Amino acid sequence: MELEKEDIQGLMVRGHGNLKSARFLLYNCTDPIASCNFLKEITPLITHADEKPEEEAIHIAFTYDGLAFLNLAAPVLNSFCREFKEGMSAEQRRSVLGDIGENNPENWTWGHESIHFLLMVYGKDQEQMDKSILRINEQTDRCGIQLMHTLPTGLLQHQKEHFGFRDDISRPAIRELLKDAPPETSTTFPAGEFIMGYKNLYDEYAPAPFVPHELDKQGLLPFHPDSSERKDLGKNGSYLVFRQMHQNVHAFWQYMKEQTKEKDEAIQLASKMVGRWPDGSPLSLCPIQPNTDLSESNDFGFWDDDQAGLKCPMGAHIRRANPRDHLVTEKSKKDSSEMAAKHQMLRKGRPYGMPVTPELDPKDIMESNEDEQERGLHFICMVTDIRRQFEFVQNNWVSFHKFGGLENDADPIVGNHYNKGPFSTNEFSVPNYPIRKKYTNLPNFTLIKGGAYFFFPGIKALQYIASHD
Amino acid sequence: MSTIHRGLTVTVTINEEKVRQVNALLFQFRNELKTNRDQFVKSLPSTFFISWLTLPSQVYSGNEQLPARVILMTSYVGSKKQHLNELVDFLSPQLKQVFGESHEFPKNYAGNADMLNFLRRKSVPNTFYSGFKFLSTSDVAKEKELKLAVWEHAQQLNASKDTSQLTPSNIKRQIEDFVANDPSLNWAVEEIPFARKNRIQMLLPLVLLGLVMATSIICIVLCFFIDTLFVKIMAWVFPLFVIIMGGLLLLLRQNEKNPHIPSDELSDEEIREIVALETHPVINEMTVIAPLKKGWIRRAFLFVSLKLVNFLTYFTYIPTVHTARWLQLDKGKRLVFIANFDNLSEAYAHDFVDSDKRTKNMAVIFSHAFGFPATRWLIHKQYNHRTKYIKGIRANQKITQFWYSQNQYESVENLKRNRVFREGLFKEMDDEAIKKWLLTI
Repeated sequence: MELEKEDIQGLMVRGHGNLKSARFLLYNCTDPIASCNFLKEITPLITHADEKPEEEAIHIAFTYDGLAFLNLAAPVLNSFCREFKEGMSAEQRRSVLGDIGENNPENWTWGHESIHFLLMVYGKDQEQMDKSILRINEQTDRCGIQLMHTLPTGLLQHQKEHFGFRDDISRPAIRELLKDAPPETSTTFPAGEFIMGYKNLYDEYAPAPFVPHELDKQGLLPFHPDSSERKDLGKNGSYLVFRQMHQNVHAFWQYMKEQTKEKDEAIQLASKMVGRWPDGSPLSLCPIQPNTDLSESNDFGFWDDDQAGLKCPMGAHIRRANPRDHLVTEKSKKDSSEMAAKHQMLRKGRPYGMPVTPELDPKDIMESNEDEQERGLHFICMVTDIRRQFEFVQNNWVSFHKFGGLENDADPIVGNHYNKGPFSTNEFSVPNYPIRKKYTNLPNFTLIKGGAYFFFPGIKALQYIASHD
Repeated sequence: MSTIHRGLTVTVTINEEKVRQVNALLFQFRNELKTNRDQFVKSLPSTFFISWLTLPSQVYSGNEQLPARVILMTSYVGSKKQHLNELVDFLSPQLKQVFGESHEFPKNYAGNADMLNFLRRKSVPNTFYSGFKFLSTSDVAKEKELKLAVWEHAQQLNASKDTSQLTPSNIKRQIEDFVANDPSLNWAVEEIPFARKNRIQMLLPLVLLGLVMATSIICIVLCFFIDTLFVKIMAWVFPLFVIIMGGLLLLLRQNEKNPHIPSDELSDEEIREIVALETHPVINEMTVIAPLKKGWIRRAFLFVSLKLVNFLTYFTYIPTVHTARWLQLDKGKRLVFIANFDNLSEAYAHDFVDSDKRTKNMAVIFSHAFGFPATRWLIHKQYNHRTKYIKGIRANQKITQFWYSQNQYESVENLKRNRVFREGLFKEMDDEAIKKWLLTI
């Protein structure tokens, strides 16, 4: 089934890597009618998936609070999934996501109070960005829309993240976007896993928000594939999960230095925690030292020759975020692969803040002085099922300290580390001969500073939201 | 003593008006558990889990009211008699308070002996699964401490530069010497008690069933040569079994063609109420109770399925599950399912629906329950979606007012790995096997 690219917001199919400057703007509305007028103005400027912008790209996404403020009808609001309606910072969500202690939403800069919508603005350079922002400010001011937070971003050298490791290597590909009919592989997925209105891995349409057909008087929306009484508000849209993750770069490398005797050992330990060397080469393929020829490598698994985690520890970050073909709880490679495939996300985030050192070489980072700079990752992903995809991974693989038969190990990089007496989550185990090594008292290397669940609508859905009765 | 894990299910009907009152009692016990947990552990040495809940009345087949109930489900190890004695000795005041609300409770109740009789009379059969077989409750803590002590002691090996000391057999010997010489650990020198006996005991019913069927097949052949009554009778056993199962399947297929009636979905508020109780860091519990879909064939097929599954539980593997059970109530018109598992129910439910194989296995039992998707030939999906299994689970999930877990902090994988380590101690192994064994530490 071909994708309706003219109806899909462009970020779904490309990351706008050529647009170096990006800013994420969080807004609250003050007047529903004026806000809808703003949406009518901005809709033609939203970048479609069939465009390849060279200058500017703009995207928009809404929280449940935002859609409710715009007075969408109750049946429409109710049709969204429970997680979206409750919101990321809802109390019942905190233990699921590991947002307790230091990560409690009460400590967040944004997201613990109401946010209505997100504008994602990309520009080829700072000058373009300034022009775009000026224009948007004029529009929002006119419509009584309040800017609550501005979240700047910045791409880092060599596609790294702030700890000094290559990032964004493993990316699921949408099959319908690949030129030739692709074979089914572990890295290609049907569009419905990330874009609503298409079939997913279950060969089903992902649950999507809808509008009772009598409420779509202008006939803007297509019919829902499962019901002739409903219009498909979700078609060509997605849920966008946004978490601002502050990275304690100095604390990270300080810990590595304290646990080892020299820098190379520190880098080795950090690589064990990540699952790749700083240049991106995976431990599974080169466990002893990095191999830059393998920096982009993503074609590897764990079942055949690393079930014990002697190369890439069971608790390593990449092994938790994507177990690929080996889950300890499964009895076969096929079963593991099947399970892992059902919990993928399309990542679209960007780092923010100044790097500790321009080249992000860990050896240089270890020599640098601590500063008070804010830096981290705006983690953004697109899913059609928040619970099955994002929350499952966050809860069951990243946060759960018993993942893979481990004992007290939350994800070493992004997990919430604490000790509660009878149990703790702040250890990292490295299988070793003769005996496993255990690193203890891991501090939190990342802290959540904000977050929310958004609905990332298709263009027609956006038109409906802007002009509904 | 046996170390086979079993499930006790005791249930009585109550008037609907009493449900709220009993809920309040059970929640009170749940609160009290926070402070008197140690007493539970000490006084109930055979008990791994207790789930105690009320079940409001449900409607079967659109018009028949199934009664409200109180259900007590325990997972235990050892003899049923000893387990019942422990329950009564420790919990008889609470048992009296709760079960006393039922008209089925003896009016002339005089004491513990009556409570024992009452529990025996009201217990119902179930199909039970355990993910960590043959461990006693005391093994959980002991094996964890054993492995931790060995790990701590063995850290010096990581630092050793003497490679002659680091051969697998040398390392194993050093570990075994450490264990044998430590008074707090040398209990592990002894063989695991009852291990072989319990395995035989668990497998015996399946072996007997297999023997009967094999004998029947042999007798079919012998019929042509020997003309005795025994051979003739036995020759019919296997064919009858196949004919009955085939017949049931055909009748089931007919029933599957009935229009599928979806159940009402649970509201967000109701789901929040259920998941609000899933606050334990490692192990949580889920109870799903549903009336069956209409038709006697559903009750009959489920009955037969549960009996057959019972034979196979030794070989069954359900990931992340500590214990699980299935049973029928109210003349087979209700399916009860309860599981104690690692982490949260959402993750646990996904372990099933995300696996093609497990969805089919699950369908053998759950497809008979109201609110679960329609099927073709029992295990193939019809027009319903796999995601509707999750909705079916949620639609029929009940709040368990009282829940106790003897083990709070060890996952199923932890328990299994600790046991594998213990089994390997003092066992003859080659170097490759030793290396693999060392990875369990």
